[in-house]
Amino acid sequence: MRPGDFSELIGGLSGEGGRVLDAPVSHSERAAELDTHGTTVIAVKYRDGVLNVGDRRATANMAVMFDRAEKVLPLDDFTLIAISGSFARAVEIVRYLKHSFRYYARRELQEMSLDGKVSEVSRAIANNLPMALQGIGAFIPIVSAYDPRTNEGRIFFYDGMGARFETAEFGAAGSGSERIRGAFDYIIRTKKPFREMSLDEALQECLILLDIAADLDAATGGFAKVLPVAKAITRDGIVDIPAEQMRDIVAGIHPREDAGLARPVA
Amino acid sequence: MSFTPYDWNQSIQTRTEYIEERLRDGSPVVGISIPDGILMVSVHRAERKVYEIYDRLVFGAVGNQSDIETVRNASIDFAHREGFQRSPDDVTAHRLVGSVLSPALKKAFGDPFNAPFVFRGLFAELGERQETDLFFALGFDGEFKRETRYSVAAGSLEAENRMIDLLHSSVDQAKDRTSAVRLALEAWATGKIHARRRGGFGSKARDEEEEEVEILTAAHVLREEIAEGTVEAGLLERNTPREIKFRLLRADELQPVLAEYR
Repeated sequence: MRPGDFSELIGGLSGEGGRVLDAPVSHSERAAELDTHGTTVIAVKYRDGVLNVGDRRATANMAVMFDRAEKVLPLDDFTLIAISGSFARAVEIVRYLKHSFRYYARRELQEMSLDGKVSEVSRAIANNLPMALQGIGAFIPIVSAYDPRTNEGRIFFYDGMGARFETAEFGAAGSGSERIRGAFDYIIRTKKPFREMSLDEALQECLILLDIAADLDAATGGFAKVLPVAKAITRDGIVDIPAEQMRDIVAGIHPREDAGLARPVA
Repeated sequence: MSFTPYDWNQSIQTRTEYIEERLRDGSPVVGISIPDGILMVSVHRAERKVYEIYDRLVFGAVGNQSDIETVRNASIDFAHREGFQRSPDDVTAHRLVGSVLSPALKKAFGDPFNAPFVFRGLFAELGERQETDLFFALGFDGEFKRETRYSVAAGSLEAENRMIDLLHSSVDQAKDRTSAVRLALEAWATGKIHARRRGGFGSKARDEEEEEVEILTAAHVLREEIAEGTVEAGLLERNTPREIKFRLLRADELQPVLAEYR
């Protein structure tokens, strides 16, 4: 008996008691068509905390299922999760995590430690592995938090088995993230580290990165049609970045058509 | 040897006396609905008295601490299981008290071979608007009643009635947090006084003079208790951007009221 453990209450993280399922399904070619995926999410440490930005597209195979998906979600007042991969599993696990953190705090009358929270995320991913191995349900989150003990923002990213890594500057996940990974380093080396940027500066870089990801990855939505979701965590908690603020920045970003990248060879 | 209906009656009576005797000295809990949300106030010497159960549910009680813990944990378990497997919208005080807690308390109370709960509790549910705020007062025998605007849990029924009288006549003064904390503490002190005076006053009609004496006494009791204990005021905030609506009021928020008794 682990006091305050929510997975125990619902009959195990994958137990019959919960709706979390891990019954092995036989591999099917059609599986991917059923599984809606969220695509590109970004987290960077800026001057006052952590900024998370995510595009809004959710796809199932070649179909765009939804163009207003929310992929940056609060787990509590000082923790954000940005989700990529299987939408069904991610949303379910986010619900699980929210309940799990709160259940612990309410039962034990103390907050779960940040370390405890990021471990719980590992546990949820590891538990999802049997499904992920069947080819569906894999998801990779980035967890951002404001650490009251060290007074700084922190970013954790995960692999498919639940290994947890802490990153010093930035994290990105989802299909578009691989395309832009090097660009983060380029920005850090040629402009300045994200952690020295103001919110607006960091937001602008993230939006440009997202736009590049959208250009290079068909499953990523970018900002042309629907504005991304952006949330920041500071010492005062989570801030939703208003659409106005993003629109102003988007308006200042040079349109890409001017770049004239490639011309067909006549 | 057999257990007869007479024995059962006898046992119910003995148990009731035993429970009420043990409840008497408990520190009352007062709940008031205000435009800002729901405020639940008590004064404690040792353990906390006001607890968050779920996103929109708060709980306070008098009684044996381990019984309070049992009810609190059962409530949190139900709320989280239900909130996760169904939806947070399905977690209501009515379901919690009516379907889960009341039958269990009733069973424990009526079972002569098990220890009954030494418990009187108050649950509050935050509504979208003040008019939809709800209170459920739950007794050790499983009996519960649904109330609006304000409610209490105290050491004796006499004390509860006196507190309700005070709240009934003054609740319109409680418009904001500070005035609600002030009123709640007055009600709390009233409950504390009347639980001590077992049997109550006998006469229902109280003249103005006696009322005045009571207020004086309430102030006296508060001065005494605030010096030795800790005032605990939990607020379920109606309009907050935060994920967690519940929080305990900070010392600086309580200060304007407490200063009057220091």
